[in-house]
Amino acid sequence: MVDQNQGQRRGHFHRGRRGSDRRGIDRRSQQPPPQERGGGNQVDVEQIMREIRGRIAQRQGIDLSNQQIQDLAARRLESILDPRAIKPSLLDALRRSAGAQAQRAAEKIPNEPAFSFEDTTIYDSHRGLMRFIRRMLNPLLKLFFNPNPLIRALHIQAKLNVEAAERDAERDRRQTEWNALHYEIVQRLVTEVSRATLELQAQSLRVESLDAKVEFNERRVRGIEGSVHRARPQVVPGRPEPSAVSAPAPEAEPASAEAPVAAPAEGGQTSESARRRRRRRRGRRSGMGSGEGQQMAAPPRPDVASTVERRPEESKGSVEHVPDTGINEAPPVPFERASAPTPFEHPVPTPFDHTPLEHTLSEPPPIVQIEPPPIELPPMAAAVPEPPPAPEPPAAAEAPPSAPDPDRHEY
Amino acid sequence: MNVAIVVQRYGADISGGAELHARYIAERLSSRIQIRVLTTCARDHLTWRNEFPPGADEVNGIPIERFRVARERSLRDFGIRSRRVFTRYHSLQEELDWLQSEGPVSPDLLARLQRSAGEFDFVVLFSVRYHQAYYGARAIPGRAVLVPTAEREPALALAIFQPIFRGVRAIMYNSLEERAAIQGLAHNEDVPGVVVGVGSMIPAATDPQRARQVFSLSRPFVLYVGRVEENKGCAELFDYFQRYLESSRRDLDLVLIGTPAMPIPSHPRIRHLGFVSDQDKFDVLAAAAALVMPSYFESLSMVALEAWALGRPVLANGRCDVLQGQCIRSNAGLYYESAGDFAAALDRLLDDAGMADAMGRNGRQYFAQHYSWPVIERKYLDMFDRLAAASPGRPLEPLPGWFARRRPTVPAALDVLASLPSGPAREYQSASEVPA
Repeated sequence: MVDQNQGQRRGHFHRGRRGSDRRGIDRRSQQPPPQERGGGNQVDVEQIMREIRGRIAQRQGIDLSNQQIQDLAARRLESILDPRAIKPSLLDALRRSAGAQAQRAAEKIPNEPAFSFEDTTIYDSHRGLMRFIRRMLNPLLKLFFNPNPLIRALHIQAKLNVEAAERDAERDRRQTEWNALHYEIVQRLVTEVSRATLELQAQSLRVESLDAKVEFNERRVRGIEGSVHRARPQVVPGRPEPSAVSAPAPEAEPASAEAPVAAPAEGGQTSESARRRRRRRRGRRSGMGSGEGQQMAAPPRPDVASTVERRPEESKGSVEHVPDTGINEAPPVPFERASAPTPFEHPVPTPFDHTPLEHTLSEPPPIVQIEPPPIELPPMAAAVPEPPPAPEPPAAAEAPPSAPDPDRHEY
Repeated sequence: MNVAIVVQRYGADISGGAELHARYIAERLSSRIQIRVLTTCARDHLTWRNEFPPGADEVNGIPIERFRVARERSLRDFGIRSRRVFTRYHSLQEELDWLQSEGPVSPDLLARLQRSAGEFDFVVLFSVRYHQAYYGARAIPGRAVLVPTAEREPALALAIFQPIFRGVRAIMYNSLEERAAIQGLAHNEDVPGVVVGVGSMIPAATDPQRARQVFSLSRPFVLYVGRVEENKGCAELFDYFQRYLESSRRDLDLVLIGTPAMPIPSHPRIRHLGFVSDQDKFDVLAAAAALVMPSYFESLSMVALEAWALGRPVLANGRCDVLQGQCIRSNAGLYYESAGDFAAALDRLLDDAGMADAMGRNGRQYFAQHYSWPVIERKYLDMFDRLAAASPGRPLEPLPGWFARRRPTVPAALDVLASLPSGPAREYQSASEVPA
């Protein structure tokens, strides 16, 4: 088998790809970015950064500014902090504490006034006379009981009260700070979750898109494989075997202009003139009305079609030309169906499924190049009829009238 | 003309940004005017431990006087005080205590300054956030020329520095962004000031091939030069670079030059060369595809200027206003604010060789226009001449009284900082700042 692709063209995998990574160094250098056009050191960093960020936003699929993400996060936070599930007062406190300064809590005055208890407190009064009398009677009172433990206990209690109030104030302050911190953390977490969710959505969309492309490519490959299977030699009773017809052509004297066209069927070499003629015919055929085309349609000659090289520019418009080429006519059906031997006479082609193609029309997937199927030719002696003993030249006798253009057999 | 340069540390082997800046300025100006450096005996900026002997010294022909530091810095105490003044309402006294804790406290150095009444025409004070610069400015405000080397950090917003910004004779700013922040803070537009920055000792020739061979740098690489620490954004750089490698199949290394102050991820594509000589550094820089500057706070990135001087593009942290502004004004670097930005900008720099070369040319031009030594020297000398001819400005505001200093009315520095103007400056605004 001759490799039709050696050295001269890019591999089939690269066909149709126009990315910078597929361009050579020389081509890359020929296309300066817009910032540098005009020569010199014309680089606008801000413009480049805008482009970069624009591209990032495009790649993420959803072009939301930070403010928009914040708004979205705020709405999500509202839904998380559902007032039906959380005490409204707590929610308000959280919100207030998020904005309030922690200092305020520290400066908060305790509700209960500080109560000091000294040794004179129990004898105190707002009336001066009463104070005086009590002080006078104090020695007498001390004869009955000792008030000092009581005074000390109450004094300690007063101190404890003050300390407890300070502790409460400190705890409130810390709690306020913690509340603010928690609210901030929750807010940031929700923001990040929102950002991640958006990115996840964008990535999901991208995965779906890629999945569809992969699926389409797989179906396309299966279809092409099916066509390859059908390209196996099929002996149709009542018709001359195509390979037998075309086989003698290379060996025939190229006396007629049509003779070289048949050569690729055997040797894998497709001449440019033959391609041109086929394209012309395809053009004529595609110009027919659909009904007429259907009536006249017959299964293609896969052996010929598969050897015809499809160019990228042809593949781009492959939808219109689909029925005319062996590759595109391969229906996107499972392999088992496609590989089932189709009777050659069956005039109804499998309808082309447009659905996946519409999805990828703008960006055709890379064309998988099919190697020409190995056609086992029968022995020359058996295939070629005995040359008649007539005086006409043997080459003309070996080449039947239809041999140069096998497509013509279909119509 | 006699000029003294006062800086917290000084030495040929001290590579801190402000210290190197001071040394370069001293060495370059010494050919035009009489320069004397007054500094401390400290070598380590974290502890201010006295390591150099006090007294006269000389570094690269520059006469130096070293003074002992009274006490070492307690990082714990400094952390507590920093938290207090940065995050809460506080008093001026607390800020002064913070400055005392920051150091380096050298009473001998301050006494020497006060004694130098007729000795120096001007005293160039480096790094406003340090003790010697603040009290040096208070000691000799009429002759003080301040080089703030201020980054957009909370310390800049402390209230004690505002009178200094308003009361010194002149301010030599490092960048437009620094000037905008200081003027927004202190409203000192009437104080003579000029955006100068600093040049660098760029070698006449570099040998990138030698660097590739010596350090076995066979793959393309981006370079980081500086202390490897979180404050410089290195943790984020490692994260972004590893994420970039996961998403890209590019054959790219990240090469680090500098002393590590944090663990460096053990990744086959992250190479740490340690501390290298200047020649090696410039050779590696010339061999790099780009320089990465991940720092959040910079008043002026000398290594970015060196990269531009060598014609290499820079990929900078866009959250640092100064770096972003320099990238925009020079058109010689890209910047990032997220991992996506980082990857896309890096791809763009590496893919588009034409653009990277054009950025390199822009960088050379930017460096030559604004940061070459003749330009820097001329700006300093012009400023000294201008100050010598002009009368002293307004006097330095004195510190408030004992009670007023202790009144907790000063807002948190972080809040003040947040209210300052931010963002990169697009253009040089004054014609005098654009050298011919």
